[in-house]
Amino acid sequence: MKANRSGAGARRPLIDGVDKVTGKAQYTADLPAPNALVGRIFRSPYAHADIVAVDTAEAAALPGVVAIVTGQDCDKPYGILPISQNEFPLARERIRYRGEPVAAVAAVDAETAERALKLIRLKVAERPAYFAAADARREDAVLLHDNKRGNLEREVHNEFGDVAAGFARADLVREQTFRCAEVTHAHMEPHAALATYEPERGHLTLHSVTQVPYYVHLSLARCLDMDPSRIRVVKPFIGGGFGARTETLNFEIVCGLLARAARGTVRLDLTREETFLTHRGRPESDIRIRIGMTREGRLTACEMEMVMRGGAYGGYGIVTILYAGALLNGLYDLPAVKYDGYRVYTNTPPCGAMRGHGTVNARYAFDALMGEMATELGLDPIEVRRRNLLKAPTETINGLRVTSYGLPEALDWVERASGWRERYGKLPKGRGLGIACSHFVSGSAKPVHWSGEPHATVILKLDWDGGIVILTGASEIGQGSSTIMAQCVAEVLGVDWERIRVVASDSLVTPKDNGSYSSRVTYMVGNATIDAAENLKKLLVEAAARKLKTTTEDIECLGEAYRAASSGETLSFKETTVEALVGTGTLTVKGTFTCPEDFQGGKHRGGAVGSTMGFSYAATVVEVSVDEVTGLVTVERAWCALDCGYAINPLSVEGQIQGAVWMGLGQAICEETRYENGLHTAANFLDYRVPSIAESPPIEVGIVESLDPNGPFGAKEASEGPLSSLPAALAEAVRNATGLALRELPLTPERVAGALEERERERRAAARKSAKQPATEGAV
Amino acid sequence: MQALAIHKPETVAQAIALHRAGESRYLAGGTDLVPNLRRNIQKAQSLIDITGLAELREIRAESQSLRIGAGVTLEALCGSDAVRAHAPLLAEAAALVAGPTHRVSATVGGNLMQDTRCYFYNQGDWWRTANEFCMKCEGDTCRVAPKSDRCYACYSGDLAPALLALGAEVDIAGPTGNRREPLAALFADDGMRHLKLAPGDLLVSVDVPAQAGWTAGYEKVRIRGAVDFPLAGIAVALKRDGDRIAALRVACTGVNSYPGLVPGLDALAGQKPDDAVFAALDKAVRKEIQPMASTLVAAGYRRRVAAGLTRRLVQRLYEAAA
Amino acid sequence: MKRILRIQVNGRWREDAVADNTLLIDYLRGPLQLTGTKQGCDGGECGACTVLVDGKPRLACCTFAASVEGCHVETIESQSQNGRLSPLQQAFHEKLGAQCGFCTPGMIMAAEGLLRRNPRPDEAAIREALGGNLCRCTGYVKIVESVQAACGAEAAA
Repeated sequence: MKANRSGAGARRPLIDGVDKVTGKAQYTADLPAPNALVGRIFRSPYAHADIVAVDTAEAAALPGVVAIVTGQDCDKPYGILPISQNEFPLARERIRYRGEPVAAVAAVDAETAERALKLIRLKVAERPAYFAAADARREDAVLLHDNKRGNLEREVHNEFGDVAAGFARADLVREQTFRCAEVTHAHMEPHAALATYEPERGHLTLHSVTQVPYYVHLSLARCLDMDPSRIRVVKPFIGGGFGARTETLNFEIVCGLLARAARGTVRLDLTREETFLTHRGRPESDIRIRIGMTREGRLTACEMEMVMRGGAYGGYGIVTILYAGALLNGLYDLPAVKYDGYRVYTNTPPCGAMRGHGTVNARYAFDALMGEMATELGLDPIEVRRRNLLKAPTETINGLRVTSYGLPEALDWVERASGWRERYGKLPKGRGLGIACSHFVSGSAKPVHWSGEPHATVILKLDWDGGIVILTGASEIGQGSSTIMAQCVAEVLGVDWERIRVVASDSLVTPKDNGSYSSRVTYMVGNATIDAAENLKKLLVEAAARKLKTTTEDIECLGEAYRAASSGETLSFKETTVEALVGTGTLTVKGTFTCPEDFQGGKHRGGAVGSTMGFSYAATVVEVSVDEVTGLVTVERAWCALDCGYAINPLSVEGQIQGAVWMGLGQAICEETRYENGLHTAANFLDYRVPSIAESPPIEVGIVESLDPNGPFGAKEASEGPLSSLPAALAEAVRNATGLALRELPLTPERVAGALEERERERRAAARKSAKQPATEGAV
Repeated sequence: MQALAIHKPETVAQAIALHRAGESRYLAGGTDLVPNLRRNIQKAQSLIDITGLAELREIRAESQSLRIGAGVTLEALCGSDAVRAHAPLLAEAAALVAGPTHRVSATVGGNLMQDTRCYFYNQGDWWRTANEFCMKCEGDTCRVAPKSDRCYACYSGDLAPALLALGAEVDIAGPTGNRREPLAALFADDGMRHLKLAPGDLLVSVDVPAQAGWTAGYEKVRIRGAVDFPLAGIAVALKRDGDRIAALRVACTGVNSYPGLVPGLDALAGQKPDDAVFAALDKAVRKEIQPMASTLVAAGYRRRVAAGLTRRLVQRLYEAAA
Repeated sequence: MKRILRIQVNGRWREDAVADNTLLIDYLRGPLQLTGTKQGCDGGECGACTVLVDGKPRLACCTFAASVEGCHVETIESQSQNGRLSPLQQAFHEKLGAQCGFCTPGMIMAAEGLLRRNPRPDEAAIREALGGNLCRCTGYVKIVESVQAACGAEAAA
């Protein structure tokens, strides 16, 4: 298969890459709209308050202000999960976090819009606010949402296998607590939207930075109370997403509301600060974990309590808290699991889905404690993992199906590449190696909005010009999805690369797609694309057979030509196309992909979350050095091997793995969102420290191809799975370097130095104590 | 962006003549001032762009000193042979400022006189309004120390400690005449008014005395390898005589509202660098510095790491001077 | 206050009426429609707006247009000439130095600034020169490789 220069297995540069390097790629804020009004959002300075009045009279009277909208203009709550739609695009009655949109202005220019914001008067009655999960859960806490007792969005209590028996037969049981700071996506492109309302026809067009145009379309129809057929949603070039844009965001609806109110075009470009406030990142998590292990290193049971500070609204929260528990399984052979999850409402910006959705912090706690226990048992941490491997195909105790499993090969690769055997435990003082593993779904087997449609639909158009156009709703967000689809078509049809073009994510012309989340696109849309290409090939073969007066079985597809094997006669692709169009005209073929029901998870409540047709598997080794004076952790090098099933584009797979490894490192060593009385203190790139190139390490990548039986050409996802292994691998490397198990992320210099000093103090205290003890006690 | 006019004088005298108290600010590289203007935390009706003043861009080796124009960019400072020969410490410190692109336009004068920083202050309009402002800008309470009657915003320049350790002096031109003074005299322990300058005063140059017999170094703690301001920065100049420290100067940044020389080190001159000397050094540093909760990184850490870095740097320089 | 700004942009002298408080980035992206230069932060923190002014990298978001009067400004749009990608563009494309592409124009212009003063930088020099340009997709590995490839300093692979 790898022979095809453009097909599956080829190291193709991105199909839209030239536009990106020339600066021609137009992102939302780049779209020309010369007479667009400028939108600005008035945000709440209060964390928790009842709205008494939003007085916009003075602002409306300012010359140049064209429209103002408030919570009065939209009474339909929205939210990605049909069961937790409790957010309004502009707050109504109640404000629940500092920075929540309350009103918005469209004016002739930015200066006028900003002046208008200062004239809006917000009167409120404040309520007690909670910025920590523990505070919000207190018995006397005021509820953020009246129907959610204890400020719990969702409690999860699951037990699979016999946990008590598992712990009883363990030789070593350890329990620890871990804490992970809140982190966020920090995609480089700030949020932006551009909306045009045509009052004559009652049509609305929204260009936005979304990963999920379909969900945005749904929300717009709902919140603007419009027939969806009157709405068009377009996704231009997107400057990264990482999950931030996998649900409809308030500014997208606000932009639509403003355009309709202004009866024209409104541009709404958010600042970096506002982009941080919009958030939807990974929640602060408090984790208590208990693991049982035999002295040989076999896992016997695991018990985890996970508390997530979810922020003010539902968003993806329920899915996040379920993911954390569900994906404790599916990586190692784990015979018994008890999971208790608590997703808590707090007066902070809402969390959401972020790369490795729900699984990252749980995996950190699990793999870090696993490593600590290996040390205690005198076992090599890689060896311990080898003793707990699954054997595919299999089904986990919570109903997840594992059909391909390249973790053993991934472990072998990182062990070899990092020189683990020669170097682990033999490095100089202050230097260390750590390992962890992880996995992730290749598309959630059950979509958020169940409609009975296939999981993915792709259309191919072939016209008289011989050009093949892939029409897809899948959102290219920089991950390379359009390129993968083109490679799928090139592989099946064998045509020249230049013949293929991709039109993505314009609801006017492309088929509906659920969007780019849960790493579903390569697997699901890839399969649908292959299906479409096969369907097109069938038509071309039939045409060639007709023209060459032979049977379809006799026709060979040579890509740019079709040949009758019997006679040796050939038709060029162009001639075949002309024949195929006779009597029918332009060819449009469809391809679909549907995830069979038996892959859709366990029967327990929430059992669909975590279910997938294929898990990716990663093993990661990190090498660090630790400065004992400053506590600064320097990552010297990282090695990551990923079983992505099959690399349809190895170049792209490398890029995804490197990016995931590095993003995981950022969470592990320097990224952190904090709030001061609910006010985001790091809403900029100086205080929210996305690692720079200067201290970022070389990252070596190994690709393992387990050939998934159901993946497109055997492929699985390649972007989320690796990330989850990083925090534990990093923490383990720091432990190896210093002897200290640090259980709070990120491992900033402050935390590392603090722990080193604490140990020094304890040593000194112990020395003083033993000096004072009478010598006879030494016998104890 | 605020409404403002930009003037582009050609001489220092013209620049000073254009200056209006309370309305004007001098603009050089803009890497500190422009983000502050964008956030409305510094205000100006007119900016006097001094990047066109050739006289500010000179680096001149004189018989007993090196004279560096205030308009010399940090990139030029790093690349200057004269600086590398005469005061390599400056190049070392300058190379650690922000990111390389900032250093192309950022200047010596701008770096020395950069505004103090605090996470309650370096925020946009909405944030500061929501926080009901702070003493340094539009409010009356210091959010770092609400009971205090002063502002604790932190000085974070990297060049100042290096220049202090080298005993530099500054030339200042102003509406009332020119003056030369020790660099230390330029700074005050006040987050709001950390520069002792009269309206219209313009820093023209710094003068670094000859450094015969001294070795010097700068260490900066930051989380990322680029861009970050110092959580603590320490410059040390040291003279060694046999197995003794002959003279020692230590200056800090990122830990007070001003960059300062650690006082009381004269007593260490003439001593062998043993545990007692390091203990005394440690004490002197901790006494001089008072980091406050102006950054997201805890003050206690910055205080401890400043002392730890000083010890390590002194040790390193002492050994290097052998 | 407005002035007639005389400035050379991508090789062409222009005269435009520009308000004094106009930032270079807004001048380029607004009246000139050179939207390749990106705004990624609220001022000086991410490097996405990097352009060349008289051959050296400069943050267009921290620079007033009036301050670069009479200067030669180069943006990403000047890199490809006569339909041919520049070596940096070619390398960023082929080596996947660009994923989402948003930091790419600034990254390429900063790298261009580096290559003009140091045509054969080693890896350390590349990492040093791009220190102010944040990227969230690549982990920087392929960015380093792209710059190396552009100056022919690629490891034999």
